[in-house]
Amino acid sequence: MFDLFSDPVKVAQQMEIIFSEYGFAIWETMYALVLEVIFAYVVGLPLGVLLVTGEKEGIRPMPGWMMKTLNIVINLLRSVPFLILMIIVLPLSKIIVGTKVGTPATIPPMVIAAFPLVARMVESSLREVNHGVIEASQSMGASTWQIVTKVLLPEALPSLISGGTITVGTILGYGAMAGIIGGGGLGKMAINYGYYNFKYLVMWAAVIGLIILVQIFQSVGTKLAQASDKRLRNRN
Amino acid sequence: MQPIIEIKNLSKVFGSGDGKVAALQDVSVAVQPGEIFGIIGLSGAGKSTLVRCINLLELPTEGQVLFHGQDLTGLKDKELRMQRRKISMIFQSFNLLDQRTSLDNICFPLELAGVSRKDARKRAMELLEIVGLPDKANSYPVQLSGGQKQRIAIARALASDPEVLLCDEATSALDPTTTDSILKLLQKINRERGITVIIITHQMSVIEQICHRVAILDAGQVAEIGEVESVFSNPRSAAGRRLVSPEMALPFTEEDGPIARIAFNGNASEEPIIASLALDLGIKVSIMGADTRNIDGKAFGTMLISLPTDSEQKQKVMQYLKSHPGVTAEEVQ
Repeated sequence: MFDLFSDPVKVAQQMEIIFSEYGFAIWETMYALVLEVIFAYVVGLPLGVLLVTGEKEGIRPMPGWMMKTLNIVINLLRSVPFLILMIIVLPLSKIIVGTKVGTPATIPPMVIAAFPLVARMVESSLREVNHGVIEASQSMGASTWQIVTKVLLPEALPSLISGGTITVGTILGYGAMAGIIGGGGLGKMAINYGYYNFKYLVMWAAVIGLIILVQIFQSVGTKLAQASDKRLRNRN
Repeated sequence: MQPIIEIKNLSKVFGSGDGKVAALQDVSVAVQPGEIFGIIGLSGAGKSTLVRCINLLELPTEGQVLFHGQDLTGLKDKELRMQRRKISMIFQSFNLLDQRTSLDNICFPLELAGVSRKDARKRAMELLEIVGLPDKANSYPVQLSGGQKQRIAIARALASDPEVLLCDEATSALDPTTTDSILKLLQKINRERGITVIIITHQMSVIEQICHRVAILDAGQVAEIGEVESVFSNPRSAAGRRLVSPEMALPFTEEDGPIARIAFNGNASEEPIIASLALDLGIKVSIMGADTRNIDGKAFGTMLISLPTDSEQKQKVMQYLKSHPGVTAEEVQ
């Protein structure tokens, strides 16, 4: 696996694959990632908010059974290994996106695997918001919706961005695993073209691509989180 | 006059079963429009719970909270939110939104009320002038000192044009000089805008400096209530005495003999009463403790003296003291 450059013919062959496939693989990785992150937040963000506002001491307590069920479902989805979850959920892909193979088919299982993570990330971010500030808004006559949209989410923004960065990294990792069921992108390139076909140069090229992507997302995320945080001194 | 805020037989119990704690028991307080009303008590007396019951941040277990005679506890969510805009609140920890500038913090209650952004900003700038921080419009809370944060919080509280301003230990986190300036600001707001101010504090000096009337809260109950002058110069309750002269409330033992507490009201504090007592009666008493306070420009003093053990002499001393106008005396031991 580490003897990459000994056979010039193989090297040339593999370089050709890399050159012809790499750009498309990155594109596939990115577009799946963007869709997955969007859908994971569409489902996970409201649930995360609900986990905080709906609890017994929250600003809009919900029935206990409802909160308990929600917590159990989220924990359950979080504890099933992603690969297994993906296989279980595939039939659902057939219903939602009309196919069980290819990149679109991997999006529903990825979203189902990622939204519980997002919900927990959002939950923990919102819990960091100072309770006094919420109380102050209540004293000014803020409604639940106003507290969520004007206090909880904006005050937790830096933390939400940090959480988002972690989520993106995790989804990128899941995406690589989705290569196994035919999801396109760098993951598929590493596993199908690379590992299964003994083309280790291709594999390493794809892995390095993923590493670089994660590095970029992480540093952009960290910068954004810092830039959005007005609590940090030495600004302006 | 109809009280602007009237708390009627209010009780608050936290927890249930064996863990039950009664934070407030049968509290009744009426606050008149335009006054600065102080609620003082030691920590754990239930002050903060009481003030939170006024705008129903804390739901009373029993009793009523009347605002202009209307019971707030019976209101629907939406109606309550509308009423809350007329009862603003400031806090010990300021509770500003960290991610918003001063200006946007002040705009916040206006935003909640649906005021247009342009009008809100204009009003916020006016309020920044009032609290003396027009140059801090674009500063974030982290860039402000404690006193400045509280000024912004006051401006924010005034934005919705409230009738009542609740202050929950608003100066407790500030140094004495800053406390002073914040109290002056509250006084100015009260005088110029006629806003009723309710101040919760454990600091005597706060009450002395700006309150008209005061209620002393002790173990969840109102120990006494009245004009600041009369409560401080002559507290009738044990809790009142503890607060007025804490260092004098040290437990004296039986061996110290009988002790009297003397209060000088206003001008009487300038009279050399102990000296004249010795000269006129020929009885010497020793001073066990003394304290003078400045309430609204007048000096008020309290003093603890040890009385002669002989009951006849003791009677003479007490009569002598009581015969002086502006002096009240009582045997406390």
